Amino acid sequence: MSYAIALHEVSKSYRLWGRRSQFATLKSALLRRDMKLAPEASVPALKDISFAVDRGEAFGIIGRNGSGKSTLLKIVSGILKPTSGRIDVNGRIAALIELGAGFHPEITGRENIYINGIMLGLSRREIDARFDSIVDFSGIGDFLDQPVKTYSSGMYVRLGFAVAVHVDPDVLLIDEVLSVGDEEFSAKCVAKIQEMKYRGVTLLFVTHQLDQVRNLCDRALWLDHGATASIGDPTRVVDDYLQKVSGSAHAPRTTKQEPEPEPERETTETVEEERWGSGEVVLKRVVLIDDKGFELVALGAGSSVAIDLDVEVRVPQDDFVFGIGIFHADGTCVYGTNTELEGYVPEKLDANARVQFIVPSLDLVAGSYRVDAAVHTRNGRAFDYRRGVLRFVVGSRVHDTGVYRPQHSWKFEGGAHFREVDLVKRNVPAPIAEAIRESKKKT
Amino acid sequence: MDELKSLYRHRQLIAALTARDLKARYRGSILGFFWSLANPLLLLGIYTLAFTKFFPSQVVRPYPLFLFAGILPWTFFSAAVLEATNSIAANAALIKKVMFPAEALPLVVVSSHLVHFVLAMPILFAALALYAYLGEVSVSWVIALLPLLMALQTIFVAGVAMCVSSAAVLLRDLRDIIANLMQLGFFLTPIIYLIDRVESRLLRALLHLNPMTPFVVAYQDILFFGRLPAPADIFLMLAYSLISIGMGFVVFDRLRDTLAEAI
Repeated sequence: MSYAIALHEVSKSYRLWGRRSQFATLKSALLRRDMKLAPEASVPALKDISFAVDRGEAFGIIGRNGSGKSTLLKIVSGILKPTSGRIDVNGRIAALIELGAGFHPEITGRENIYINGIMLGLSRREIDARFDSIVDFSGIGDFLDQPVKTYSSGMYVRLGFAVAVHVDPDVLLIDEVLSVGDEEFSAKCVAKIQEMKYRGVTLLFVTHQLDQVRNLCDRALWLDHGATASIGDPTRVVDDYLQKVSGSAHAPRTTKQEPEPEPERETTETVEEERWGSGEVVLKRVVLIDDKGFELVALGAGSSVAIDLDVEVRVPQDDFVFGIGIFHADGTCVYGTNTELEGYVPEKLDANARVQFIVPSLDLVAGSYRVDAAVHTRNGRAFDYRRGVLRFVVGSRVHDTGVYRPQHSWKFEGGAHFREVDLVKRNVPAPIAEAIRESKKKT
Repeated sequence: MDELKSLYRHRQLIAALTARDLKARYRGSILGFFWSLANPLLLLGIYTLAFTKFFPSQVVRPYPLFLFAGILPWTFFSAAVLEATNSIAANAALIKKVMFPAEALPLVVVSSHLVHFVLAMPILFAALALYAYLGEVSVSWVIALLPLLMALQTIFVAGVAMCVSSAAVLLRDLRDIIANLMQLGFFLTPIIYLIDRVESRLLRALLHLNPMTPFVVAYQDILFFGRLPAPADIFLMLAYSLISIGMGFVVFDRLRDTLAEAI
């Protein structure tokens, strides 16, 4: 029972409720006593969707309009019943499908908070306890005791969101609501949702903002005409989706995992690489090299290194971005950047090329790291995305923690005295350590 | 049983929504609650005038009190049922966008009309006290049965409301059908006349088929005549209430899953 939501081959067909498909006459309604409703036509909205979302996982659903995203969310929430298949949900659900859907315009914000809270499953006492926090979050201030009809649409939505997130659900369903409201509130919503995720709330959300999927989700599902088109790593799924939407007619990559000619890569543990992209431009080889051009898999902290990309151009491009991401073994992103972010305006990529990302001093603490390298268009459609294309280990005798070691030194004045510096711990190279000791003896 | 459990669970919701309805309805209106009384009082005036001044043959004395005893429960029934037909369509946003127990909607309509009914009672009691003071009627202990009778009628009304609210989503014409049936029903219920004085046997049989007849007659018995309702009427009321609430749950359950789509 570790999952929060599980769908087993869920399908949904909408019945068409035209005039003809209703009871034609009152007589026919009365004659068909069992009230079995037999519509004439139905439209499939979801076809055999199966997936499970673990507790505390953030799961994104993307797809073009009419692909069944909202239907899926409504089925999980229980608003709609599936035509076939089974859904299991563990825990209390809250759905942000339409914010403030239950508000009554004639009564005050205060009264609406209570009504809406009760609708979402809170008791009066639970609302009392959360009331100040709700008002505070919504930021409606003096309007609290005004009828809701006097609210601006932004205030309306903010109040709706505030109530909904204070239900303390185990599972939160979100449909496109993060895109409403102004920048500030939108950021507040995202922060709140991240906080909920951190507390172990399972998130299932539908959005057109692909950045949110990349940033917030652990996994994603791309729905295409009601069927699962792609599921898994959010960056990959978003990319698959962008490929499709951009309608690229170029030959798809023939192999997902090209045979790598470089034997050196086997020096470390087997590299689990994920790779996708349209293949018009390919990163043939990605390696970490030192300042003399030798390939590295292990290095000392503060080394001078470069990530070297061997680029093969199969179809010339005029819109291209090279990107690099460095991740700690635990998944933390240490650093990510690309040429677009740093202001390189592409002109043309018309022949094979070599691209280097040069780091004069790789100030990382000891640990193992992986690198993502990618070449893609400016709107994010990948030509070649290589996740975890290489791994390297940073060694250090100083057992400092974290991921980043800024260049630093200590300075002591006044009453702080240290007997000596343990040169072994300081990771001082042996010849220099020897020299220091020599000079100490002399004095 | 499950339905009753879920009703119990939703009691706070129903109470809160009822309060919201009442507040929203009367906010910004000067006479407020009086408006829910205006229609029964108007009817009272018209029929009193008609049957005491224009053709004073059928008169039961004191006629206004007799009329009042029948009009209030009828108004409760007809207004609640009529509004219930629209209750789900009017709250489409809730059904489609929120995980919302749809059965709460017709029940909220019933409970807010019950509040109107209860609030009108003091006026009826005042009239009763006045006529008792004038010596035209005598008040009996059976008036203590009033809450019981109201409870029974509420169950009956709730069942009908649940049936029509869900069915009206699929059968849009139901609202118009019911609005017209209510007009007819007013005359096919012994409100403005005494059922015993109806001469046509066919008409009397028809009146007895109307499920509201035993309720209205029972109100008249308790409030106007100061006597216990006839055992046959008590039996009929119990039967109608049980059938109605049972049907209400069955029909609603049957249609529940299609509501969010068909609305």
